[in-house]
Amino acid sequence: MARLILSRVALALITLLVVSLILFWCVEWLPGDAATRILGRDATPQSLAVLRQKLQLNLPAATRYLHWLTAALHGDFGRSLVADRSVLDYVWGRAVNTLGLAAFVLALYTPLSLGLGLWTAVARGRAADHLVSTFVIFGMCVPEFVIGIVLTTIFAVTLGWFPPLALIDQAHGFFEALHVLFLPAITLTAAMTAYAVRMMRENLIDVLDSGYVQMARLKGLPRRRVLLHHALPNAIAPALNVTALNIAWLMGGIVVVETVFNFPGLGRLLVDSISLKDVPVILAASLLLTVVYVLCNLLADIASLLLNPKLRGVA
Amino acid sequence: MNVAKSRSVRALPLPPVAAVAAVVLIGIVVVSLTGPLWAPYGPAALGDGDPFEAPSFAHLFGTDNLGRDVFSRVVYGSRPVLVMATASTGLAVIIGAAIGLLLAYWRGWADELGMRALDIVMSIPPLILALLIISALGNSGVLVVLTVAFLFAPRVARVVRAATLAIVTEDYVTAAIARGETALGIAARELLPNVAGTVFVEFSIRTGYAIVFIGALSFLGFGAPPPAPEWGLMINEGYSNINASFWPVMAPAATMAALVIAVNLFTEGLARMIGQRGVSGLRE
Repeated sequence: MARLILSRVALALITLLVVSLILFWCVEWLPGDAATRILGRDATPQSLAVLRQKLQLNLPAATRYLHWLTAALHGDFGRSLVADRSVLDYVWGRAVNTLGLAAFVLALYTPLSLGLGLWTAVARGRAADHLVSTFVIFGMCVPEFVIGIVLTTIFAVTLGWFPPLALIDQAHGFFEALHVLFLPAITLTAAMTAYAVRMMRENLIDVLDSGYVQMARLKGLPRRRVLLHHALPNAIAPALNVTALNIAWLMGGIVVVETVFNFPGLGRLLVDSISLKDVPVILAASLLLTVVYVLCNLLADIASLLLNPKLRGVA
Repeated sequence: MNVAKSRSVRALPLPPVAAVAAVVLIGIVVVSLTGPLWAPYGPAALGDGDPFEAPSFAHLFGTDNLGRDVFSRVVYGSRPVLVMATASTGLAVIIGAAIGLLLAYWRGWADELGMRALDIVMSIPPLILALLIISALGNSGVLVVLTVAFLFAPRVARVVRAATLAIVTEDYVTAAIARGETALGIAARELLPNVAGTVFVEFSIRTGYAIVFIGALSFLGFGAPPPAPEWGLMINEGYSNINASFWPVMAPAATMAALVIAVNLFTEGLARMIGQRGVSGLRE
């Protein structure tokens, strides 16, 4: 078992190395080079040549990749071409905002998906189940930017309850931040919760129909106890797997939702730096998002390994 | 999976919800094919009305910031959405199914190597890789289709490979090997017909994902360049003027939502009918 997990971890590390190469290679293909982008219209052949020399753009791409990689491994991601500051500070500042948003999303997501999953499984076939299941279909199918825009139109533009743009940097205090973050958080939560509720419901229904739950019921244990102590623990394990995959999904979701709400986070930074061709920032931001994505998938993988009884005791 | 079992329970009826979804889908496809019959104005004709007109009989969904008729643009926009989504998914399924079938047939080190390569492509968040590829190679409809196909193919391959591994040890495959058939021949004649259900459901699921994915790309400004009547692009353009009128945003957004819901409900019914897994997996 331990060996199996170790090999997954090793594989993830190799994957990240290859991914960094792919990202670097993608960015190499961007039209123009760093020197023309920095100098813009002021470029003269002489100044371009000088800057290329200074930025070591004359070196072959493979050498520059190795330089970038070694620097990155030491925590140095270079300087932003546009916002003359260290990429690490820049990306980190935005990542903190995104982390705040993600924490809010998870705080809404966890109780909602647990509660609704339990409720729909217990009330299966009844009106409540059908109602929630309809919402689940909406949450799973409707693109997150459509959900975000519909919510903004209703609650920000028409009713004026929330600000249409999530300008977190101008918020003072915890509650004002929550107020500003509410709509983007709800948007992301809707999509994530839909999957989790569905998985929870399906797993719980299987568990509730199983022999040991029936046994517990026939022993005369109270309904509540059967549900919370017998059924729920066995349905939670797959829910953890879904949650890890959901957080991985979030790495793409934030790119879209942060754009909808003009939220100064990592996803928005990535889109902006791609349109500005700010290569060091693109590399750092996309690598960071990919690391989280790979980690979440790894965790989901390990969770399902640990939960598979067939693999227990395997070396 | 037990092929024999799913064969014997044939001809389950399509669930009613899925039937309704199928009717909606057929409706949208017919409207998109016969677009000019329905749309009273051209897709890019400027100044058919004043900017931001409210809905009326002349402009069913009102007009946008340039006075273009929103209803006509939504109707014309259905065609690129459907064509791009089905083209990219079709391409992804053809390539992915071929890879999945061959990997499962070869097994051993070729399979191991192939899967690791696919894992690496799948370990980059798809939206981020798509943004990078498209910004490197330039905005165009064709490039979007190729990029989405490239991102979806490994995911299709993984599913088809898993389904094929379950049948590759059957006697008829061994018999075909003994007859001296080639790998491609066995994949096409012996394996493919037995995983056809999986492949078809995969196509149906991925079409839904592709509509959302391509919509997100064009919303972010990485799809077909303006003034294409593409729903995601229309939403993007209308969103900056949301205070003036929400019709240019809401009309394409609601239509896109209806289309995706219809595709998913139809897929789910279809999957249940032929005894396959449903849409419960995460969209990725």
